[in-house]
Amino acid sequence: MASEDFERRLPQPELLHAMDEANLKAAFAGESQAAEKYLVWAEKADDEGYPNVAKLFRAISFAETRHARNHLRVMDGIGSTADNLAAAFGGESFEIDEMYPAYAEVAKEQGDKQAQRTIRFALKAEIDHKRMYAEARERVIGGSDIAAEPVSVCLVCGHTIIGGVPDKCPVCAAPGSMYKTF
Amino acid sequence: MTGPFQNTPPKPEKLGAMTESFIKDALAGESQASQKYLAFAAQADREGFPNVGRLFRAVAYAESMHARNHLSVLGAIGDTIANLGTGHGGETFEIDEMYPAYRAVAKLQDNKEADTSCRYALRAEEDHQKIYAATRDTVKAGRDLDATPIRVCPICGHTVVGDAPDECPVCGTVAQFFTAF
Repeated sequence: MASEDFERRLPQPELLHAMDEANLKAAFAGESQAAEKYLVWAEKADDEGYPNVAKLFRAISFAETRHARNHLRVMDGIGSTADNLAAAFGGESFEIDEMYPAYAEVAKEQGDKQAQRTIRFALKAEIDHKRMYAEARERVIGGSDIAAEPVSVCLVCGHTIIGGVPDKCPVCAAPGSMYKTF
Repeated sequence: MTGPFQNTPPKPEKLGAMTESFIKDALAGESQASQKYLAFAAQADREGFPNVGRLFRAVAYAESMHARNHLSVLGAIGDTIANLGTGHGGETFEIDEMYPAYRAVAKLQDNKEADTSCRYALRAEEDHQKIYAATRDTVKAGRDLDATPIRVCPICGHTVVGDAPDECPVCGTVAQFFTAF
């Protein structure tokens, strides 16, 4: 399918009434969480020896990703790459400056140790993401792509690094073999 | 951090109500960030920035790791039979309640594209509900599914077990563009 034909078939951005916008935002949140849950449940099905159930979960996760993209398009949530990098940078900044510090404080207050870990893992990675998005935005505004260096992600905590994989994850101490490289 | 939990994903624990509420919010945030970054990656590819596309995909994957960790702490990763049951329940809610309500409002407000986006999702959730129910029966009987490919329409998410239809019955996309799993 030619790219224009593909684009034409998708739901298009439109001026939304407030209630429609609220509903689409909620639907986007629902589809996004379903997609993530199904990916995790796919791993579980693999662990239990059901590879074809795992494949089913991955396929349906992909379908939910299509729905999330469609809802996002209608809300005009997909801009130019320079704008998308800025939006991503803004989201990461909010999580670093406001969201996760507040959540960490409450988890500490309530003595929930595993909650503290999952919050800390995320917060540390968002700091990497914020920096990478800022640098990428500079490049794209200057009209060039970023370099073709590998980007690697820790499978345990999500630590993200451009270039080589460390011997040990600096956040959760997972070995370098537990990174996925893009 | 040191101790027995080092370099393993966070585990389920009994959470204070406020912490539980915040971890749920964080799951919603990470899940939406991941989906946005995947859409942004496709946009970067279209604009001729493949390495920015790759960066967005890598960071989307990192957000998926965070979403998984939050789900783990919330105790939301069951065995496969339970997961299929939860999946079926979620799809049922979307079919019976959520999308019909959203579509009614979209029609009332004459937001045609919003209605289309909700209709595409609703139709696919009906596929998913059926497939999850049948799969749960199979797994309960102690068997895996057979290896038949599962195909997904890249436009509307229509999901079929087996061959793709010549044309997607929901949005008209032709068979060759379906993604096979």
